[in-house]
Amino acid sequence: MSTAAPLPAKAGAPSRPRSRFIAIVAYTWRSCFPRKRWAAVLLPCAGAVLFGLLARTVDHFPTRERAFANIAAEGIFSLMMPIAALVIGDSVLGAEVRAGTFHFTWLSPAPRWQIVIGRWLGGATVSITTIAPAAALAAVVAGTATSAGAAFVAAAVGSVSYVALFIAIGCITRRTAVWSLAIVFLVERLLGSALTGIAQLSPTWESRAAFVGYLDDPPSRLIRSGIPEGGGAIVRLLIIAAVALAIATWRMSHMRLSGASD
Amino acid sequence: MGRALMTTDLPTGSVEHDPAFAADATVTISDVSVWFGAKVALSELSCSFGPGITGLLGPNGAGKTTLMRAMTGLVGVNQGTVRVEGRDPRRERNVRGRLALVPEDEAVPAGLTARQLVRYTADLFGVADREAPDRALASVGMLSVADRRVNEFSKGMRQRTKIAASLVTDPSILVLDEPLNGADPVQRLALIELFKSLADTGRTVIVSSHVLGEVERMAERMIVLVHGRLAAAGGRHAIRDAMDDRPRHVLVRSTDGRHLAIALIGLEAVDGIKFDNARDGLVIQTRNARVLATALPRVARETSVRLLEVRALDDSLESLFRELVR
Repeated sequence: MSTAAPLPAKAGAPSRPRSRFIAIVAYTWRSCFPRKRWAAVLLPCAGAVLFGLLARTVDHFPTRERAFANIAAEGIFSLMMPIAALVIGDSVLGAEVRAGTFHFTWLSPAPRWQIVIGRWLGGATVSITTIAPAAALAAVVAGTATSAGAAFVAAAVGSVSYVALFIAIGCITRRTAVWSLAIVFLVERLLGSALTGIAQLSPTWESRAAFVGYLDDPPSRLIRSGIPEGGGAIVRLLIIAAVALAIATWRMSHMRLSGASD
Repeated sequence: MGRALMTTDLPTGSVEHDPAFAADATVTISDVSVWFGAKVALSELSCSFGPGITGLLGPNGAGKTTLMRAMTGLVGVNQGTVRVEGRDPRRERNVRGRLALVPEDEAVPAGLTARQLVRYTADLFGVADREAPDRALASVGMLSVADRRVNEFSKGMRQRTKIAASLVTDPSILVLDEPLNGADPVQRLALIELFKSLADTGRTVIVSSHVLGEVERMAERMIVLVHGRLAAAGGRHAIRDAMDDRPRHVLVRSTDGRHLAIALIGLEAVDGIKFDNARDGLVIQTRNARVLATALPRVARETSVRLLEVRALDDSLESLFRELVR
């Protein structure tokens, strides 16, 4: 082992440093998704496709589009999408905090917003390339290819909104998975079913509304008063994402990174 | 031990002659307390660190890691202040460019090669020199394996990669939490030389360890923590003297313990002798181990007793810590 040149000498013509932001996004792709995490993301995506198959087999709906809409609303947007997004959202931040490797990023002079947005962008691209195509593929498998675009857009925006929410939770607590599941299934599913006010803040309900809004013949039971469909829901999802990212940025400054062993 | 070493009894104002405070401090800890729930990790700790190597010593759970994390801003303090070059490392992110931490945790980012990890750090810190990552890896002897994944490395190799990641930013203050853990003897020597060369360039190097001998080889100054409090501070010789001056127990195995004991009991350096059947030898209590070490071979020769083994039973930092908090 050599001990020569302990410090980097400033040699040659100075070149521009690489963008911190790009470095953070690239790191997120490279480091935050080991094989097991990919499997955990792709499993619910495969589940979404199976729901498409289920929609194809049921015959008590008047049209295939309606059959897929009903099954997608419950199976894909209320179950598979949040689970896959939870794995992604936890991977890009919470898992690193728990593992004790987040200090590599946190200790840098990079602004907090760059870290948060960079991590979110890394996670968002993963969700857009996995969850959204799975939702679109489910529509095709269900025999209603015309719904594929609506499913893709709603799943894409819904999942990136969820990733932002789970990043914010990762900045608040170390038990990201537990709190995220509690929010998805207790707050969104249980309370959101009864209270429109909760549903208006819920990525599940808003992505369902976005999906339904883009369908030619949406089932009336999926239209909920107080929640705009289509583009309106997309805007709300983006607002939810923006607020979650703002909270994450604020909370990141207050994190206590006491190490993996503590 | 010499009371001059003890700093916990001194009033906070007497900074000038207090060995806990460096003359030209770059990192200042003032009345810092940190707790996690009901567990107090640091309690009203005041000390400072300046250029050169300072050893941060203490048994496991003494608060060394928490202090190092507080210095770098990773952990916010509940009470008191931490200042790095006069600035708060938790709030002022610009000061982070001057600092580097090598944590004790074995965890490393998954999926990255050593080169990618060091380059990532360089990118985050805005290092423009594209050759800097390779030079940092070379400085810790990791260039030849730079394209291997870090999570496949041994503990020592991971540690050296993390040191490279900290060096690539050219920090003026280097905080190293048990940096020699997992390194083999050759690597240890090389790393110690590396840290010394960094200190020689005027950098503040803070090295934690629970092994006195390890820190002794590189640090001129030492801070000793026990139970989250400052137990002692001073030069390495003062700390070593503190170890030498306290009561110690030496195991002596010989061909005739009875005769040896009779001859030794009259020596001034010997406070007491007892037979230890389990160890099959004499356990000698002494307050002056150096005098005993000189006298023992002479007495053995005079009594025609052959010494089979002479071993200090409590020559460890743990025993010093126990002594310090007694």
